[in-house]
Amino acid sequence: MKTSTTVVLLFLIPIVVFGGIVAFGIKMNTLIVVLAGAVETYLAYRFYAKTLDRDVIQTDAKKATPAKLYMDGVDFMPTSRGVLYGYHFKSIAAAGPIVGVITAATLWGWFPSILWLALGVTFIGWVADYSAIVISIRNDGNSLSAIAYRLIAPRTRTILFIFIFFYLLLIAGAFVGIMTALMAARPDVPLGILVLAIMALIGGQMLYRWKLDLIVVTVVTVLITIVAMSLGPVGQSSAGPGPIQKAVAGFNKAIDGITGGRAVMEVIDPTYADPRVPPPGPNGIRPTTAIFDAATGVIKTMPNYLFWALFIFVFSYLGATLPIWRFAQPVNYIGFWITLIAIGLSSLGAILAPFISPATAAFNMPAIKMPDFGFNLAAGKPWQPLWPMLFVTIACGSISGWHSLVGSTNTSRQLEYETDALPVGGGGMFSENWLALLSLIAVAIAGGAGAGAFAAGIGKLLGVIFGKEFISYGTALGFGTFMVIVLTVTQLVFRVMRVTLTEWVGGAVPVFKNMHVTSIFSMLLTVLLLLSGTWVYLWQLFGASNQLMAALSMLLVTVWLRSVGKNTSFIGIPMLFMFITTMFSILVTAHNLYVSVLTAPAFTGRGIVEVGGWAMILLSALLFIAALFIAWDALKAWQKYGAAPGPSVATAATR
Amino acid sequence: MSEEKRGAPKTPPKAGFFDKVKEVLYGMAAHDMSRYAVRTRASMEHLFILITMGDLIGVPILPPYYSLRLLPYVVPNVATWKRRMLREKDISDAMF
Repeated sequence: MKTSTTVVLLFLIPIVVFGGIVAFGIKMNTLIVVLAGAVETYLAYRFYAKTLDRDVIQTDAKKATPAKLYMDGVDFMPTSRGVLYGYHFKSIAAAGPIVGVITAATLWGWFPSILWLALGVTFIGWVADYSAIVISIRNDGNSLSAIAYRLIAPRTRTILFIFIFFYLLLIAGAFVGIMTALMAARPDVPLGILVLAIMALIGGQMLYRWKLDLIVVTVVTVLITIVAMSLGPVGQSSAGPGPIQKAVAGFNKAIDGITGGRAVMEVIDPTYADPRVPPPGPNGIRPTTAIFDAATGVIKTMPNYLFWALFIFVFSYLGATLPIWRFAQPVNYIGFWITLIAIGLSSLGAILAPFISPATAAFNMPAIKMPDFGFNLAAGKPWQPLWPMLFVTIACGSISGWHSLVGSTNTSRQLEYETDALPVGGGGMFSENWLALLSLIAVAIAGGAGAGAFAAGIGKLLGVIFGKEFISYGTALGFGTFMVIVLTVTQLVFRVMRVTLTEWVGGAVPVFKNMHVTSIFSMLLTVLLLLSGTWVYLWQLFGASNQLMAALSMLLVTVWLRSVGKNTSFIGIPMLFMFITTMFSILVTAHNLYVSVLTAPAFTGRGIVEVGGWAMILLSALLFIAALFIAWDALKAWQKYGAAPGPSVATAATR
Repeated sequence: MSEEKRGAPKTPPKAGFFDKVKEVLYGMAAHDMSRYAVRTRASMEHLFILITMGDLIGVPILPPYYSLRLLPYVVPNVATWKRRMLREKDISDAMF
């Protein structure tokens, strides 16, 4: 089959299938998503990805990879395909595919979300991940920034570093924001996270100091953590919350007593995507709660919110500054098993649900939430048009810059055979897409919004297997799983920010050589973003920087392919689409911040919110300008290599 | 030198289904732990090579008897050590 025919078919299949379901009013269910996802993945991998790998990139198992050529026993180390796939997938899987999808489905409905998940991963996502690995293995295992230095311009490397640092800052802000809101709003969540921290400390001690057997350590720590996470709602009944929930709620109330129960500051989220906003009731109206005023839309930031933010920072601080074996590594290890169990069983639940419990399997969310897809833009009001905002709200489920960074600096140096690049890089991305589809299923069957709906959906899917009595415990486990996935990445991000700051500023300002100073400084910058209050803009700005990072990676690959005289269309076209989309989304987010945060009426704590809002607008401008500089330099490099392939990549061209 | 000349297999070897599952699980759960362990070992190795550097290049710094006894343990690691030390690095190398 010709590649052009494959492209047309792969483009039309999801549109026809999902469009047909919506047009004919067929009730969507979990099994349809599973089957459609499996078919699309198979077709895209078998007929598109493999063809490009064979005909355009021409990977060859007989060529020596950097892992073999420069084997140093540490970074460059040939690793088998299966191990590397597992490692790569675990490194790229974070909160992006979960939070992005549930936020997008809440804003625009499941139909646009699933369509972008299918089309995005087919034409852009796997291409970005796979090509980042390929460009690195064909350039001696160098990182993207080192290749940009040689291929485009020396200053591109510096700009890319600045970009990456602020991108990390946005990840930290968005992730800490959603975790804090959950910890503050759900009294059944904190116990599990506290036990996770304790088990991580004990697990590290058992494994590395007491030299206990790994299986024993795994069984003890994982079992205790899972039980603690599921126990949150124990004793809960229709009469009221259980003892653990009461204890945590009492603690929160005591903290709020510091200000006499008054809010520290107030914000408005015009999209209602903030995790603190309750889902609409059966009548479609959102109820007023202690922290949300349905009449005015005001969200109150209470002292307990700040306390839980501090808790997350302390957790991340331990992960960033303690020896890696002491805390960060055991957290990741315990977290992995919890995630595997919860996600594996939920996937099984999604397949079995239509046969065992059809009511659970049915989607409980509108296919399209905004009939005009948000394109009816009003002056002076925040905008959420489907394009470009959907494409940055769904972050890692379709395409992600984080994956390119992992692939080019880590995975590529362990690849044993060139031909492993596709199953590892492409396969990793398709697996991540499955995680996003599962999140969509969870939020769509639960019917609410945000992480709460995701957890409720996981609870329902686990209830399909273990019975209805298990739903509340399954929901608590869903919250725990969500927190674990986000926490593991957040502590890694702070660790990286600390190292980056030391490298940059440590020489000029010696105090920044101290890891405690750099960790706390990174966290203070994150607080500044958190205090803008409107979480959804923080998320969308993170999504924009994440997708833009992927676009920049693809831009680099496009220039490289041009320099070695290969066909660039399969990556150049997606790159242009993502670049333009993300740049526009940054402008829209900056506009939204201005009209809904900075020009909002005078609430409590207005000054703090304004500082946060301006910090985010400044960050938007910085990302926009950095990307423009890189694109301009890349354009000049493109023209240069069009005239004659560059000598700097001659080795790559001949390999 | 190409892979073919060294007599290595031309294509990746095939693994059974359960071996593949085992590999993937290991990759997800523990490969990063073993990589950190290897990195820690490499840092120690750097120190080890540093203290025996004098004898390696023929300029004794420590009392020669002790470092000469250490040399047999150092020499096998010199090749990979050189690659690690001389490789160009940037901030993104510290990321993962």
